Amino acid sequence: MKSKADKKDLTRRLAEIVGDDAVLTDEQELVVYECDAYTLQKNLPTAVVLPKSAREVAAIVRLCADLDLPIIPRGAGTSLSGAVLAVDGGVMIALTRMNRVLNVDPRNRRALVEAGCVNAWITRDAEKHGLFYAPDPSSQPACTIGGNIATNSGGPHTLKNGVTTNHVLGYEMVLPDGTVEWLGVEPNGGEEVGGYDLRGAGIGSEGMFGVVTRALVRLSKTPPAFKTFLGVFASVEQASRAVSDIIAAGIVPAALEMMDQLITQALEEAYRFGFPLDAGAVLIVELDGLANGVEQQARQVDEICRQNKASEVRLARDDAERAALWKCRKRAFGAIGRLSPNYVTQDGVVPRGKLPEIMRFIRTVSERHDLRIPNVFHAGDGNIHPLILYDERDPAQVKRALQAGDDILGKCIELGGSVTGEHGIGAEKIDFMSRQFTRDDLEAMQQLRRVFDPEKRCNPHKMFPGAKRCAEFTQKKQVAA
Amino acid sequence: MTLKPCTISELQALLTRSRGVDAVSLDAVADLIEHVPGDMTATVQAGMRLADFQARLAKVGQWLPVDPPEPETVTIGSLLADNLSGPRRFGCGTIRDWLIGLAVVLPDGTLIRNGGRVVKNVAGFDLCRLFVGARDTLGIIVEATFKLLPLPEADACLAKPCDSLGQAEELLEKIWTSELQPSVLDLHRIDGGPLTLVIGFAGPSADVEAQSEVATGLRFAGGASLDYDARFRRTTPHFPSVAPADLASTLRTLGDESFVARAGNGVIYHPSAEPPKLPSPELQKRVKEMFDPEGVISG
Ligand SMILES: Cc1cc2nc3c(=O)[nH]c(=O)nc-3n(C[C@H](O)[C@H](O)[C@H](O)COP(=O)(O)OP(=O)(O)OC[C@H]3O[C@@H](n4cnc5c(N)ncnc54)[C@H](O)[C@@H]3O)c2cc1C
Repeated sequence: MKSKADKKDLTRRLAEIVGDDAVLTDEQELVVYECDAYTLQKNLPTAVVLPKSAREVAAIVRLCADLDLPIIPRGAGTSLSGAVLAVDGGVMIALTRMNRVLNVDPRNRRALVEAGCVNAWITRDAEKHGLFYAPDPSSQPACTIGGNIATNSGGPHTLKNGVTTNHVLGYEMVLPDGTVEWLGVEPNGGEEVGGYDLRGAGIGSEGMFGVVTRALVRLSKTPPAFKTFLGVFASVEQASRAVSDIIAAGIVPAALEMMDQLITQALEEAYRFGFPLDAGAVLIVELDGLANGVEQQARQVDEICRQNKASEVRLARDDAERAALWKCRKRAFGAIGRLSPNYVTQDGVVPRGKLPEIMRFIRTVSERHDLRIPNVFHAGDGNIHPLILYDERDPAQVKRALQAGDDILGKCIELGGSVTGEHGIGAEKIDFMSRQFTRDDLEAMQQLRRVFDPEKRCNPHKMFPGAKRCAEFTQKKQVAA
Repeated sequence: MTLKPCTISELQALLTRSRGVDAVSLDAVADLIEHVPGDMTATVQAGMRLADFQARLAKVGQWLPVDPPEPETVTIGSLLADNLSGPRRFGCGTIRDWLIGLAVVLPDGTLIRNGGRVVKNVAGFDLCRLFVGARDTLGIIVEATFKLLPLPEADACLAKPCDSLGQAEELLEKIWTSELQPSVLDLHRIDGGPLTLVIGFAGPSADVEAQSEVATGLRFAGGASLDYDARFRRTTPHFPSVAPADLASTLRTLGDESFVARAGNGVIYHPSAEPPKLPSPELQKRVKEMFDPEGVISG
């Protein structure tokens, strides 16, 4: 990192671009930016800048290129994998002041937004046209579209609707050398784009290819009918069988979410929704579409749940109850704060059919390491979120918690799955990359990276084995949600 | 030069010794590796014909939601390399939306994998999207894993001849703002035939019936076929693409020849149209240089 004098000079030159009030270099101010929602590693960036336009972003990036400083794009900082960590200092470019919905185009079912625009704001503005933006991460009241593009975010409704890459038509990106490119479908342009799919290549690149400044997203028609069920089961196995039977019946629900007993108890205590406290597992099944078809499938789903010995199948009575149910589900991580001083959220994926097996495995891991591990997950996608509870004041527990996470993700790979379904590799899961991929697979990814960032200056020390680590491993309370 | 390897390892070996390869035939690399109906995923080698693949999936009531012309001759490899699609593109998206994993032999002979076999996966950079539509110029796709869908319970197509483009435009507008959720929304005029609007529905029978009834109310006639697409498109490789709202105004500039348009997508197949322009030429060039520095594969 640069010396103090350099830092003064840097501050001045950044301020020339964005103004004094948009540059942070005091340690007290920088602390907010020392980590994201993954808090096991922390480090201060050299400076944080808050640009207001793509032009400012490009100027900052060019300055950093001249000074050979790392740049780290940042949205809302809700990453759960340390993707925004300034491992070796550098200039963090926070997009939070570029947060406007620029244009909603109902005729073409598109919206043009700035990168710092909060995910939920797009639907808020599109709703009056009977449209919505489909990817709905649980963090959607906070996370930004730029962050979503960088992590290819999903959410409870990705089973039917797909993830970010299926809904982002194009975006503007400032490359690490300061050039500005529009990748993919242009605003007002057609959806066929010539050449290689650079748009697709950049989605999920975890902020390592450049700084996204604007995005053109696809809007979908709001389905006219919804039916949302709560199925109550004695065990995760039974609920998993219901999931398999629903899929086998040729039904693709909008969402298929499962919560185990520890989670429902915590949620109940926190939000008093009316979850049964004695149920081994609760399944949320949401159907959407046209009224007749939804009605027809609802009868099938009800029947399937009962055949699999659901002790209760409850249908959300109205939109308000449906909204309350989803609010509860999406705040599940938050409720965990009541159970334990600290927790780590894992994000493994297994083939759907292996859900009962991975759940059994998690139970043995929990016993072996003497740690509680509640589960709330996207059952339809096979995407699990075991929450490993621990107390940072006990170093032995911290170690066991890390080991438990390692065991579970290792098992996901063994079962033919992946170590991350939506949270990304970031700084957290680097070591798993060489377990899930061969050296050649990883080298091909590095080739793609060199196309965008030959100097590896953009969000460096992430994703790939051999990357530099933060010296200190701090254990602080998880602030996620 | 065309390569005709019998196995993937033979392809690897051939590529390390070749320059200026312009085609690879993978007819011998054409197995269904795995189909897991409960996961709605399947892994297949690139040489398999799309129609054969669909027939295997259909045995358990599933399909890969893509319908390019001539599935009997289209291979999984060309489906991906040329990013092919058909009339159901409006309802189903393109093959990019259904691909979850790839195996590719790079120009230097290295076999790599990207993505995986699970439907949700963000580990590492996404090379899958990059290779779709890359026309095999960055490497040869040898195997792919897809998400699948259940075959729709019902599927119906209706058509309506229109007197003028203005009338077609009006109808399209009506459909666009209605509650209808078509899987197909095409406009075509072929070989001096009438300007025809085509609408298709797929899904639970109750929905397909109800929507077909609404379309009948708009004077669409049932029992229409989508054959026009394959017949016409065999001869029309180039096409422009516009925002859906600009479809009619663009058609007005294109003259009287036959055309097929994906009205819902704004994609127009027209013989006199220009191909889409190449954006970010500098980056495009860098991609090719990075993956094929020796120019093993032409293009
Ligand atoms: C309570 C909670 C629930 C969550 N639920 C979900 C969920 O359901 N599904 C899901 O997918 N994720 C979920 N997440 C994870 C997180 O919200 C997503 O990864 C989100 O996309 C991050 O957005 P952000 O704006 O906070 O980005 P940040 O955390 O600021 O950054 C994340 C990554 O994106 C990069 N980045 C940010 N902005 C830009 C930009 N403009 N240009 C280039 N790169 C950029 C950063 O460099 C970093 O690599 C959850 C997180 C929390 C705390």
